Amino acid sequence: MVSYYLGRQANILDYALGSLRRRAGRNSAVVIIFALVIFLVSSFSLLTTALRESALRLLLSVPDITIQQMSAGRQISLAESAVDELEKIFGIKEIRPRIWGYYFDETNGANYTVIGDPNFSIQEQLPGLRIDYSSEPAPGPSESGLSPVLLGEAVRNNLDLGDRRRFSLFRPDLSLKSFVSVGAFESSTALLTADLIVMDLAAARDLFAIPEGEVTDILVSVANPLEIETIAGKIDGRLDGVRVLTKERIAKTYRVAFGWRSGFGLACLIGAVAAFIILAWDRATGLSPDQKREVGILRALGWQVEDVITLRFWESMVICALAFGFGYVLAWIHVLYFDALLFRPVLLGWSVLRPPVSLAVQFRLTDLLIIFSLSVLPYLAATVVPAWRSATIRPDSVV
Amino acid sequence: MKIELSAVEKWYNRGLPNEVHALQQIELAVAENEVVCIQGPSGSGKSTLLCIIGALFGPTSGRAAIDGRSLARLPDRFLTRYRRELVGFIFQRFQIIEELTVAANVALPLLPLGVSLRERRQRTAEALERLNISHRSSFPAGGISGGELQRAVIARALINDPAIILADEPTAHLDSRLSLQFMNIIEELKVAGKTIVIASHDPLVFGHPVIDRCLFMRDGRLTAHRPD
Repeated sequence: MVSYYLGRQANILDYALGSLRRRAGRNSAVVIIFALVIFLVSSFSLLTTALRESALRLLLSVPDITIQQMSAGRQISLAESAVDELEKIFGIKEIRPRIWGYYFDETNGANYTVIGDPNFSIQEQLPGLRIDYSSEPAPGPSESGLSPVLLGEAVRNNLDLGDRRRFSLFRPDLSLKSFVSVGAFESSTALLTADLIVMDLAAARDLFAIPEGEVTDILVSVANPLEIETIAGKIDGRLDGVRVLTKERIAKTYRVAFGWRSGFGLACLIGAVAAFIILAWDRATGLSPDQKREVGILRALGWQVEDVITLRFWESMVICALAFGFGYVLAWIHVLYFDALLFRPVLLGWSVLRPPVSLAVQFRLTDLLIIFSLSVLPYLAATVVPAWRSATIRPDSVV
Repeated sequence: MKIELSAVEKWYNRGLPNEVHALQQIELAVAENEVVCIQGPSGSGKSTLLCIIGALFGPTSGRAAIDGRSLARLPDRFLTRYRRELVGFIFQRFQIIEELTVAANVALPLLPLGVSLRERRQRTAEALERLNISHRSSFPAGGISGGELQRAVIARALINDPAIILADEPTAHLDSRLSLQFMNIIEELKVAGKTIVIASHDPLVFGHPVIDRCLFMRDGRLTAHRPD
C-alpha cells in the first residue's frame, strides 16, 4: 500500500516536472515574479528582525530613569545640584549627571551623538555595549592631555582616521578641541553605537561650551526594578519642571514608532502577495484549450480526479520550492551584503543616524515559517483549489 | 468479460436545434473472448457506441453492463477505475499529447497505478517493441507520421493488459502491411482471452478470420445484416 502510494506520487511528480518543462517560458515567468515577492517579504522580515534585536540591545543600555529639564515644552539644561535632591530618595542605586548632544560634521553632512559620562573610563564597559579595545593601541606620550573618546563604527569611517588616533572637533566658537580615540564599538552594536562619541563629562562640557554646574540630563539606576515607577513618581514630585522618562516609557515610544513603520511596510508587502495570489488564482481557473484537452485525455485514460489534482499540486509545489529558495536566498544576500538598501529608507527614515550601519541579521525558524505561510500556502491554495474544477473535465470532451 | 447493451439510446444536445439522435434502441451482447466488428459509414454512431461501452459517457437511456454490472449505477470514481484497469481504448483521432515523447504518451495509463519507474520503463519498452515503434520512443509524439502515431496509440491501449479492447477505426492511418500486423496483434489478444470490439469499414479488418461476428450500423441503429 505504501509502495503503491509512493510510486503513484513519484510517477505523478515525474509527469509534473515534464509538464513544467513543456511550458518552461510561462512557468519561469511565474517563478521569477513569485521569487521577487518572496524576496521582498523575506528582506523586510529579516530587516525588521535585525532591528528588533538591535532595539533589545538598545533597551539594555537605557538607564532605569532619565531626568530632563523642560521649558516651554523644550528640553533645556538641568542644574547639576538636582543630584543632591535625588540622593535623599531611598532606593536609588546610582545617580549620573550626563551631557549629551549632537555634533554636526559639516564635511560629511552627518550628525554624531556625543555623550559625556562622569564614569567614563576606557577600562570600564558601558552597560549593554561591547567595546573592542584591541582596535586601538594605548595612548602614546604625545597624546597625554588629549581627551580620550570611544568611537562608533560610522564615526570612525566618516572621520577617515585610518591608522591615526587623533582628531579635532569644533567648539561653538569655532576653536578646535582635540581628542584621541582609545576604543571602538563592535559592529554588532552598530545600530546603537554607529554615530556615537563617548567621552568624559568635562570634555563634553568643553566641546559644547556648557557652563559649570549644568548638565543635559541625569540618569538614575534603581536597586529594585519593581520600584522604578514609584521612584520616578517621587522624582517628579520633588523636582519642578522636569520630564522623568522610565525605561518602559522609552521602550513603548520606540515600539510605537518602529511598529508603525514596520506595520505599514508589511501591509504594503502583503498587498503585493495578495495581488500575486489573485493572479495565480486567475491563471489556475482559466485553463487554455490545450490544458483542458490534456486533462480530458488523462481522464479518458483512467486518471482519477485526485490524480489530476495531485498533478496540479506537484506543479505548484515545484514552482513554490524554486521561488521560495531563490527569493529567500536573495533576501539574505540583500540584507547581509547590501544592508537591505531597498527598505532602509522605510524603516530607518525616522532616525537621525545618517552614517551607514551594519545589521546583525539572525536566522529564526519562526520568521521562516511566517514567510512560508504568508506566501507558499496561499499560492498552493490558489492553484490547487481551482484545479478541482479542471480535474472534473469529462473524459468524453476529447473524443 | 461480457458486454451487454440493452435498449440504449443516446441523444446529443437534446431539445436544441442541433440535437442528434446518435443511438436508437441498441441491443448488443458481446461474449467473453469474442471479437466483434461494427461496420458503418461515418456518423452512423459507431464511436458513440464504443464510448458508452468504454464508460467515457453514459447512455441517455437504456442499460450498459459489463459482466452483468450496470455501468450507469457506478460512481465516476469506479467508472474511471474501470477505464483504467479493464479497458484499452484506441481512439480514432489518436488523443495524444503532442509535446510529450512517444514513450511518455504510451506510459500515461501506468502513472496513477503506482508502478515503479523501472517497471514503467520495461512495460513501455515492451509495448513499443510489440508495435515495432521502439525507434521512435524518444521522439515528440507531434513529430511522427500518422501510421507511427496510430501504433503508439495502440501500444498505449494495450499497456495495462486490459480485458476489453475497444478500437475505433484502428487501421485508418495504417498501410495494408501494418494493418495486417495490427490484426495479428488482435489474434494474439484473442488467444489471450480478451473481448474485442472494433469499429471499422476497412475490408482488411472486417474480412479478417479473427473477426467472430460483424454487425452493421446506420443512422444510430445496429443490425446483424448489412442494410440495403
